[in-house]
Amino acid sequence: MRKFWVVAKHEYWKITRKRSFLLGTLAMPLFFVGIMTLAIVVVMAGEDQRPIGYVDQAGLLTKVRTLPSEYDEGPNPVALVALADEAQARAALERHDIQAYYVLPADYLTSHQVQLIYWDKMPRGPMQSRFDNLVRVNLSTALPATVAQRAQHGIDLTVRSADGRQEVSGDSIINIFVPFFIGLFFSIVVISSGSYLMEAVSDEKENRTIEVMTTSLTPGQLIGGKAIGLMAVALTQIGILAATIAISLIVGAQFIEALRAISIPWSMFFTLALFFFPTYALMSGIMIAVGSMVTETRQGQQIAGAISMLFTLPFFFMIIFFSAPNSPLATILTIFPTTSFLTIALRWGMTTIPLWEMIVGWVLVTVSAVFMVWAAARIFRLGMLQYGQRLDVKSMLRAVRSGGES
Amino acid sequence: MTTPTVMVSHLSKSFGTVRAVEDVSFEVFPGEIFGLLGPNGAGKTTSIRMMLDIFTADHGEISVLGGKMDEAKKNRIGYLPEERGLYKDLKLEPTLIFLARLKGLSEAEAKRRLPDWLKRLDLYDHRYKKVQELSKGMQQKAQLIATLLHEPELIVIDEPFSGLDPVNTRLVEDIIREQQAAGKTIIMSTHQMHQVEALCSRIALIDKGRSVLYGEVEQIKRNFAGNAVTITGQGDFLNVPGVLEARQVNGDWHLSLAQGAGPQDVFKALAARDGIKIERFEIAEPSLDDIFIWTVQGMQEPNHA
Repeated sequence: MRKFWVVAKHEYWKITRKRSFLLGTLAMPLFFVGIMTLAIVVVMAGEDQRPIGYVDQAGLLTKVRTLPSEYDEGPNPVALVALADEAQARAALERHDIQAYYVLPADYLTSHQVQLIYWDKMPRGPMQSRFDNLVRVNLSTALPATVAQRAQHGIDLTVRSADGRQEVSGDSIINIFVPFFIGLFFSIVVISSGSYLMEAVSDEKENRTIEVMTTSLTPGQLIGGKAIGLMAVALTQIGILAATIAISLIVGAQFIEALRAISIPWSMFFTLALFFFPTYALMSGIMIAVGSMVTETRQGQQIAGAISMLFTLPFFFMIIFFSAPNSPLATILTIFPTTSFLTIALRWGMTTIPLWEMIVGWVLVTVSAVFMVWAAARIFRLGMLQYGQRLDVKSMLRAVRSGGES
Repeated sequence: MTTPTVMVSHLSKSFGTVRAVEDVSFEVFPGEIFGLLGPNGAGKTTSIRMMLDIFTADHGEISVLGGKMDEAKKNRIGYLPEERGLYKDLKLEPTLIFLARLKGLSEAEAKRRLPDWLKRLDLYDHRYKKVQELSKGMQQKAQLIATLLHEPELIVIDEPFSGLDPVNTRLVEDIIREQQAAGKTIIMSTHQMHQVEALCSRIALIDKGRSVLYGEVEQIKRNFAGNAVTITGQGDFLNVPGVLEARQVNGDWHLSLAQGAGPQDVFKALAARDGIKIERFEIAEPSLDDIFIWTVQGMQEPNHA
């Protein structure tokens, strides 16, 4: 058992100390930080910080003139300024002292009409909602505190499927895309670490170290150690990226309102975690077999690229998941071992995936993974001892039947 | 009676229709250097691989270090394979420490032992270089360190001198002798017969998968005496009937005799030739080289039972 961990540790450090790994791992978080920074800069630069005026002809906005801080939607909320009449407001607008002004007419309580006058650029959503809030707060001051609270904040809507497994709270469509991004992200990690594993195995062949390995530890310890070491590499990548995204979203939410509505779909997260391990094992098994069959790492990389397509196939049918998330094709891809993981991620935000599909999908991917790892160990044993020779399918099948010796 | 460290009995192995090893048997005793000889493709490496459980034998029995091969015994064996292999894109020192750890050594102990070996084999100044930056000879020496660093009881070395210059060959010879003196059992597979003569006490010669010669080196040489003659003299000693090969060694002629030919026949043939002057004619003790060639070419030594 100790040797298993020695291999895992060795493999982990061997990969993570490579410059290519550092670049590959840090590129995506840096890209994300860059995008987030750019979005914040755009929002900040586009935000007019001048006050918004209002003319209260109805006399309704006298009790509360400054919005409580709980209504602030960012670090620099735009101030609301009371103006005596429309002439004064017009003059302030022409002097560019204010960016716009509201007129609450004397018959507001019956007409419910409000006017917003701006110079050249209409104030955007968050700024408009500040005035809405000011009106709500003032209109509800006479109500009992709990009723006032409800009236001021409106309803808190939660959309839930009949079986309770699918739930979207809040009013932001952005949450539909969160599972998509999580799925995409997990797929990249699974595929990249699978490719690392293929490289690790074919490296062993290229370096001709296998006889020393075989006389030092069992194939299980060697393959298992490599797989665990590389899974740790994958989890390191996930950790770094997840931490970067979390920090970016927390910071970004201070400036960008849409980000505040994002919530983590934990049920989906745990479901994908359940699929992650057998999918990773299946990918590993295939990559070990490929790495054992080829004579050079470069050959393996070409084949690995084609195999990755099997796992990323659902991306090509994304439009179908949007338009018909419960179509027969979606069902087939959900239960097919190589595509179940990503299909579930892509469908999650669009529909309630039938439970039977997920159970069948999980059973199939797990059984396939167990078989593939078992077969890969046999192919590995034979492939490693046939230096410089490419294994053909016939000898590969013979190796699977005979236990790794042709 | 001493229990053999390695006992191989009636070993057979086929790959598809190819019979790689057939009925090979030998024993290796504690503290001896045992030579496993044979031409290319004879089945030496396959026999070693079966012995070390890399391949499973079709038939036969193998006992290593007192019983069947198991995981715990792997730590007690040092193996220098025919196909040398180190991680080319890793630095030398961490590679050797990693390989030692796979043999059950702690990291601290591997780090403690390694500098002495690196210094002795003149690799200390290269310890932070990547393996691919080292010469073939250096890589060979590094591989030898990986074989011996964990102080194995049984050492299996396949062609240990390939790629080494004479200085390093002498150094490796010394190391092998030291290991023997320290009580280690050594199995050496090589084509270099003078190394076998210098180091091995017993040998097994495998040809076409079968064991064709087995025993003490001195006894085998005595059995083969009469299959060669050494002549001091002048004249043309080439193309003599009954002579398989004639070569000059330090001014003397060394004639290897063909199957069925005796020293008397050769002497008569030479006496009948014109321009031949013989100053000395003696039956030579054959070298292992000669024995190797005779045996592999299917010749029967006259006195060999």
